[in-house]
Amino acid sequence: MKRGPQATGTTLGRLVSVSPPPRWRLAAAIALGVLTSGATIGLLAGSGVLLDKAATRPGLGAIAGLLAVVEVVAVSRAPLRYAERLVAHDAGFRALARWRVWLFDRLEPLSPAPLQTWRSGDLARRLVADVDALQDLYLRGLGPLVIAVAVAAVAVVVEGVLVPGAALVLGACLLVALVGAPAIAWAGRPRDADRAAAGSLSADVVDLVQGAAELIAFGRSADQLARIEAATARLARASRRQTRATGAVGALVGVCAAAATAGILALGVDAVAGRRLEPVMLAVLPLVALGSFEVVPALGAAASGLADVGAAGRRLLEVGDQTPPIVDPDAPRPVPPGPVEIALRDARLRYETGAPPALDGVTLTLKPGSKTALIGPSGSGKTSVFHALLRFWPLEAGRVELGGVPTDLVAQRSVRAHFATVVEDGDLFAGSIADNVRFARPDAPEADVDAALSAAQLTGWVAELPLGLATPVGERGARLSGGQRQRVALARALVADRPVLLLDEPGGGLDQVSADRLLADVLSGAEGRTVVVISHRLSDTSGFGAVAQLAAGRLVSLGLGGSEGLDGSEDRGDR
Amino acid sequence: MDRRLGAAGSRGRRIVIGASALGLGQSATVVVQAVLLATVIRRALEAGATLSAVLPQVVGLGIAIAARGVLGWVWEWTTQRGAAAVGGALREDLVRRMVALGPSWLAGERAGELALSATSGADAVGVYYGRYLPQMVVAALAPVGVLAWVGVTDWVSVLILFGLLAAVLPAMVVFGRRALEATNRQWRGLSSLSAHLLELIQGLPTLRAFGRVDYGRREVAEATEGLRRATLRTLRVAFLSSLSLELLAGLGTGLVAMVLGLRLLDGGTTLYVALAVILVSPEVFLPLRRASVEFHSSAEGRSGETRIQAVLAVAPGATGVATTALPDPRRSTLVLEEATVEFPDRSTPALSPLSLRVEPGQRVALVGPSGSGKSTALHAVAGLVALTSGRILLGEVDRWHVDPEAWHRAVSWVPQRPHLFSTTLAENIRLGDPGADDDRLAEAVTAAGLEEVVARLPRGLDSAVSERGTTLSTGERHRIAIARAVLHDGPIVLLDEPGNHLDSAARRALARSLAGWLSDKTVLVAAHHLDVVYDLERVIDLGRLEHTSATVTHP
Repeated sequence: MKRGPQATGTTLGRLVSVSPPPRWRLAAAIALGVLTSGATIGLLAGSGVLLDKAATRPGLGAIAGLLAVVEVVAVSRAPLRYAERLVAHDAGFRALARWRVWLFDRLEPLSPAPLQTWRSGDLARRLVADVDALQDLYLRGLGPLVIAVAVAAVAVVVEGVLVPGAALVLGACLLVALVGAPAIAWAGRPRDADRAAAGSLSADVVDLVQGAAELIAFGRSADQLARIEAATARLARASRRQTRATGAVGALVGVCAAAATAGILALGVDAVAGRRLEPVMLAVLPLVALGSFEVVPALGAAASGLADVGAAGRRLLEVGDQTPPIVDPDAPRPVPPGPVEIALRDARLRYETGAPPALDGVTLTLKPGSKTALIGPSGSGKTSVFHALLRFWPLEAGRVELGGVPTDLVAQRSVRAHFATVVEDGDLFAGSIADNVRFARPDAPEADVDAALSAAQLTGWVAELPLGLATPVGERGARLSGGQRQRVALARALVADRPVLLLDEPGGGLDQVSADRLLADVLSGAEGRTVVVISHRLSDTSGFGAVAQLAAGRLVSLGLGGSEGLDGSEDRGDR
Repeated sequence: MDRRLGAAGSRGRRIVIGASALGLGQSATVVVQAVLLATVIRRALEAGATLSAVLPQVVGLGIAIAARGVLGWVWEWTTQRGAAAVGGALREDLVRRMVALGPSWLAGERAGELALSATSGADAVGVYYGRYLPQMVVAALAPVGVLAWVGVTDWVSVLILFGLLAAVLPAMVVFGRRALEATNRQWRGLSSLSAHLLELIQGLPTLRAFGRVDYGRREVAEATEGLRRATLRTLRVAFLSSLSLELLAGLGTGLVAMVLGLRLLDGGTTLYVALAVILVSPEVFLPLRRASVEFHSSAEGRSGETRIQAVLAVAPGATGVATTALPDPRRSTLVLEEATVEFPDRSTPALSPLSLRVEPGQRVALVGPSGSGKSTALHAVAGLVALTSGRILLGEVDRWHVDPEAWHRAVSWVPQRPHLFSTTLAENIRLGDPGADDDRLAEAVTAAGLEEVVARLPRGLDSAVSERGTTLSTGERHRIAIARAVLHDGPIVLLDEPGNHLDSAARRALARSLAGWLSDKTVLVAAHHLDVVYDLERVIDLGRLEHTSATVTHP
């Protein structure tokens, strides 16, 4: 599924097609850049002519025009530069949103299963830092390239008008610099491995933060610190290589500028002596030559900038070009309205070719309003039933039907709109308790929220909080306890008001009594809805109409719920 | 600032001094260029010199220009090394402090934000000290030197240039301060963008399940757009200082040219002086302009540093002084004396005073409702959280008086929510003992009942365990944590809800497979289910804090 690394050119082409340059802003930035460079060179060259001319004492009238030109150029350069930088940055930033949303959209269908091959810290870095790096495609890449070539061309023409030989000298020296600078910068560009190292450094720090307890308890924090230090050293080496190149570009530009300036000055002195050049123009020759080289370092920066963009772009495309396991059908069929019967028919599901099936020929019918318990040991396929129902993963054989319609003929969104899930972690988002409870239905009426909170046994706890429902839950609900997280997630699912409630280990973090009470309240609160509960321990199945027991991906028994305890073990009789 | 440079050591100081010298050298080459170019033009124009007469000056000019480029090369090299040294040192300080502050502090922080501080944040601080600081030294010294030369050559021009320079400095300081404030805001924006996107990625399955991918997409687009607007606001201010500087630099050159031109008209100065001064005058402002270019990144560095220093300023909980050797944990009683844990942001103690004696080889269970302090008690014994009051002793020795490494070696802890590291299953288990050979690894796998899992995974023990272990069930994650503890083999075993994610048959199977390993261990177990550990001597209910002394024995 993963594609090989692409050439930088191909990558840049793909990036441009995802987020084309903001044309007018980029053109404006380039025009302003050319004018800025022109003003820089013009100020010194104009001053030189002014002084040469004044030295011949021609009277104020003769130099008044030149004086005015020099003053205007002197004052205009700074505002031009200011405007150019703002316009160029704006153009660069504007392109970012499209890349970032594009990547997020590509990540979505890869979740949850295919994304597991990446570390989430690494993915976040791609979405933040790598996308940020792309602004240089337009800001430091294309813009300076055009500006440098334009300024160089104008300078050569000016020299040629004054002394034809000077144009040749400047042209040759500029050519060496304009080709050499990007080539050197390219040689010192950061390699993809360096970017990968930056990504894994970030992931290592996330591991250090989230796994600190384990690292400390097992005395392993020093190892993790050593990994972080090794990554730092690698990044420092990469940065040294890049700096060597940047410096070498500067030196190359210096040598080329030196050769051009000295050579052209010599030609100019010769031309003045031979009366082929007006003496007052002598100063213009070396000053224009010297000034024209000031645009060259930007070209080196553009080359390494584009290499950077290429590397960041490849990392983006590496994730974005993954084939999603499921795509919507071209002409999705509608699902019959209202509560419908849901059925797995002979479903087989496999996460990886060669791995044993996670579900193997499971047939299970969920009638509207039915309450079903899914029990079985760890790894028996309980969660995979949910993945199949939610169409998170395609079936290898068999099908899932929603009101008689196979779900692979239905849009994924319409399939998922039938279900509200509660996962064991809770999986909350930073925001208030209210934000999370209303997450699936932001316009839910107050009464529904209150009812859900009460069914999730949260009313008392929320009332005691100083901020009540406005209490922030922290990133991924980190500020709540495991039990509280789960209850908030449960309230969220109840407010969602979907026909089917899927609960993965409700009460997993709670003691048996609280868990039983929670489950009983859920079942009574979900009156009329279809409920499927995954549990490895059920002390009481009286609330359930059916109890399905899974083992190694197969349905081993399907019985009626009763009052006797059930715990999903294979040897139920022995306790 | 001195302290940070102190972190980079004497090398840091050498870099600043060396880089500053290189920067001053670059300015000197400009003066040489101006003098030589002015000489050539004057002699060609006024004395009608031929090329051969001025050839030495022409060649000298070339050498001076080239020398400037080469000095720039060395400058880049030196300052980059300074930046890398300081940034790296700071990153190490930061991650070390994070470890010292421990898991209870880290739990309240956003992992994505800390990661950003430790990566780009530390790098930006490195740029500040490695590049900005030397550039500031040059910016302070080079204009003085250049002005001195202009003053010796032409006192009228030096008055103009000095006047403008004096005018621009206050403006730069004002604009610089505003830029810094704006950058601080922007830095916070970037940090929260990073934390927010990490959360959205981790929560993608939930977004999809609830059909709220639009929420994620909108958050991504809005966060990016918000950051663009914030950044442009910052840049508008940040570029103001360079705008004012460039404006005055242009104005300076223009004014000097005009005054020199007018004075040339009436013979008030010579062409040589006029040309040399006009060629040098931009160099009065150039070092300041360069410093202001670095200023933006330096401001980012200073904001990053504020955040990093805030972390570094958090005092790690009182660490004990390792004065005493750890007594043999196999023969010593584990004692909790009125052990209490309180967190500053919570009104009720996480662990109310708990007193407890666990004789070597004894098994004690802590029970009680969620939030009664079972996990906190285990954290305290594991050395992961500091006691607010009370003591934890092994034999007669306080935990704070022994080397933490030795304490950690003695304790095998199985957390309630184990973290799996993004590496292979084998490496995750070897966290307990990195030196363990394959045989011992296999034993731990068997004891933790992981054989089936290993057999199921396509690459067995070498399979990559994804972050948060989503390819593995919670129960399986827990077994990995148990295998770690078995491999670690500390004589004191802390089990936090060991059977919670297993069905009762699996719990009994686990109890059977762990029995051999646990037979000679001192065990403290926090549990809802008491059937993972056989032969519990005591059950302590933290909810009621009444000690039940009945022996609970399982078949």
